Amino acid sequence: MSTDSPTTDFPAADAAALPPLDTAPATLVALARDAGYRGAPGPLAETLLVARPLLAAAGLAVPDGPLTVASGPLEVRFAHVDTGSRVGPRGAAGTDDALRVSGTLRRVPWARSADAAAVLTEGPHGGPVLLVLEAAEWRQTPGANLAGEPRDALVLLDVAVPAERVRRVPAGLVREAAWRSGLARAALIAGAARRCVELTVAHTASRRQFGRPLSGFQAVKQEEAKLVEEAALVAASVEAAASALATPESAEFPAWIAAAQATASVAEITRIAHQLHGAIGFTELSPLHLATTRMWSWRDEDGGERSWQQRIGRYVLDGDGDRLWPSVTGG
Amino acid sequence: MSFSALDFRAVHLPPSVGQLRQEVRAFLAAERAAGTVLGRPDSWLTGWDPEFSRRLAQRGWVGMTLPRAYGGGGRSTLERHVVLEELLAAGAPVSAHWVADRQAGPTILRHGTEAQRNRFLPRIAAGTCFFSIGMSEKESGSDLASVRTRAERTADGWRLTGTKMWTGGAHVNDHAIVLARTEDAADRHAGLSQFLVDLRDPRVHVEPIRLLSGEHTFNSCRLDGVELADDALLGRPGEGWQQVTGELALERGGPERFLSTLPLLTALVAEVRRAGGGGPEQEARVGRLTARLASLRQLSLGVAAASAAGRPADVQAALVKDLGTRFEGDLVNEVREILPTAARSDATPGSFPELLATAILHAPGYTLRGGTNEILRGIITRGLELSR
Repeated sequence: MSTDSPTTDFPAADAAALPPLDTAPATLVALARDAGYRGAPGPLAETLLVARPLLAAAGLAVPDGPLTVASGPLEVRFAHVDTGSRVGPRGAAGTDDALRVSGTLRRVPWARSADAAAVLTEGPHGGPVLLVLEAAEWRQTPGANLAGEPRDALVLLDVAVPAERVRRVPAGLVREAAWRSGLARAALIAGAARRCVELTVAHTASRRQFGRPLSGFQAVKQEEAKLVEEAALVAASVEAAASALATPESAEFPAWIAAAQATASVAEITRIAHQLHGAIGFTELSPLHLATTRMWSWRDEDGGERSWQQRIGRYVLDGDGDRLWPSVTGG
Repeated sequence: MSFSALDFRAVHLPPSVGQLRQEVRAFLAAERAAGTVLGRPDSWLTGWDPEFSRRLAQRGWVGMTLPRAYGGGGRSTLERHVVLEELLAAGAPVSAHWVADRQAGPTILRHGTEAQRNRFLPRIAAGTCFFSIGMSEKESGSDLASVRTRAERTADGWRLTGTKMWTGGAHVNDHAIVLARTEDAADRHAGLSQFLVDLRDPRVHVEPIRLLSGEHTFNSCRLDGVELADDALLGRPGEGWQQVTGELALERGGPERFLSTLPLLTALVAEVRRAGGGGPEQEARVGRLTARLASLRQLSLGVAAASAAGRPADVQAALVKDLGTRFEGDLVNEVREILPTAARSDATPGSFPELLATAILHAPGYTLRGGTNEILRGIITRGLELSR
C-alpha cells in the first residue's frame, strides 16, 4: 500500500481556498465530502466542521488559515498564579486565564499544514479548557496514517498561551467536539465511498474477460448493486446529519448516526470495491487505494464504529420509556 | 459520472408533519390501552383487523393522498409516509387495507375511468373495500410478463381464465386487480391488461396455501371463466405491463420494506431494560442496528420525497428494498445474539420468545415479496449503466 505522503504531490489547502466563516453548515459538509472524494490534502474537514465552530461557540477568535484539532491530557498551569486565592491548592487559581502548557498531543491530523490548532484539555481549575495554539508554538514529530496522510505528534515545551486564546468551556462543548469530529470523518468517508463506486463501475464496464465486460456478469452485478447501496446508505446518513446542523440543539444524535453508519460501512464498501477491481486495485497502479486506505484510517480516527455504536446503544437503552423509535424520528 | 442513488437530498419534514406524527402516536396509545393487538412483527402482512382499518379511515389515515372529490384525504405523499412509518413501527394490524391503500387506490385513480374511481375510491378511503394483488402465478414469479391467465373478449365484456398464486388475503378481501394476457404479441411486454375482479364471484375459487408457520394469508385463486363486464377493464387494453410497473414502484420503496421486524427490536430493548440495562456488547449491537435503521429511514423518506416531486424513483426504491429487507432479517439474527432466547410459537402471544418465533418464521419472505432482491439488484445496476 502507498505510504507516499500526498503533501509531496499536492499543494496543501491554503487560507484563500477556505470558505468564509458564515458559510451554511450543509455546504461545509458538502465541501468535506468533496475533500474525501478527492483525497484532498490538508485539514479541510477539521477546519470547517470542527475547529472553526468550536472556537466560535467558545467565543474565541477564529484564525484565518487551515486549522487542526487535538485533545488529550497535558500539563497545564496558570501563567499568573493567584497567590491570594483560597480556592483549592496553590496554583488552582490564576489572576487571569493565561496558561503555560507542556506535553505531547499525538496523531494530530495535518498539523504540519495547519496555521493553528484548537486544543481541548483539562485546565488547572479542574474543568475543560479550549485553547488555540499557533504553529510556531509547537514542535512536531511526523507520523502518518494508513494512507500516508500526516498524523503528527505535537510537542509542547512550556508554551505560554495568552488569556485571549484560552476559554473555560462546559462539558457540552467537549461532547460537541466529539460528535463534530465524528461527522467530519463520516463526511470524508461518504466522499471516498462515492469514489470507490465510480472507480468500480468504470473498471467493471471497461475490463473485459471471457469476451465481455465484467459488468455483464450476474455475479458481478449483484456485488456492484450492494456496493452502490452501502454507499447510498452512508450518503443518506451524512446528509441527514448535515441538514440537522441547522438546529444545533438537535444535531448530536444524527451526527452519531452518521459516524456510526459511515465507519461501519467502510468494511463492506472497500471489500466489494477491491474484489471487483481484481489484482490491479491491490496495487499503486490503480487510484482505488487512495480512497480505500483513507477509509480504513478514517473509520478508526475518532473512536471507531464500536464507540459510536455504544454511544447510540447506551442512549437507546437508558432513560425512561421507549427511546428507540422516537430517537430515530427526532422526537 | 452521475449516480442518482448517491446524490441523496435530505428531506425536510414540515412542522405540520410533526404534529400529525404526534396525533398518530396518541391514537395508537389509545388503541393499545383499549386492547388492540400492537407490537407485532410483519403486521402489515398478517395483522388483519378490518375494524382497526375503519377506525384509521375515520381519522383520515386510509387513502390519504386520494383527492377529496373521491373521498380521500387530499394529503401529501410525505404526510402519508409519516403515518405509515408510525403504524409499522408500532406493529399495528394494518394488513386489511394495506394493498388497497398502497396500490389499488393510486392505480385506479391513475388509470381508472370516472365511474371506476367513483365506485371504488370512496370505499377504499373509508376502509370498507379491501384489495388483493393478482399478479403472480405458479410459473410467473419474478418474470411477471410470462403470466398465462387470459382474458377473452365476449359479446359484452371479458372472460377470465387462469390461476393466480400467493394471493394474499384473497379469502377475506373484496377485490383483486388481475393481470392477464389479452393478446399474443411478439413483444412479451405487450398484450397484457389489468382487470378489477370481484373475489366473491362464484367462478373465483380461492384455496388456502398455508405459510410454513401454518398461517393462512396466501391463496391460490382459480379464475374459472369469470365473466366480466366491459367496465372491469382497468386502464387501456394492452398496457397492463406499463401499469403494473408503476404499481411495483409503489410496492417497493415504502417503509414496510425496512420496518417489518422493528417491533421485535423494540421488544428486545424493553427486555434488556427490564433486566437492568445492557453491557457494552449489547449496547454496541443495539447501536449498530439503530444507526442502520435511522439511515435506511432517510433513504426511504428520500423515495417518498422523490415520488412526491415527480422524479423517477424506481432505482431508489429497489435500493431501499434490497437494503431494507436484508436489514429486517439481519435484525432478527442480531436480536438472537443480543439476548439469546429460544424462539417459541406456543409461548404467550406477545411474549418475547413468541414475537421472535414470528419474526423467524416470516424471515424467508422479507427478501422475496415485492420482487426478489436478486432481480432488484439488476434494476440498480441497469440504473448505473444508464447513468454512464
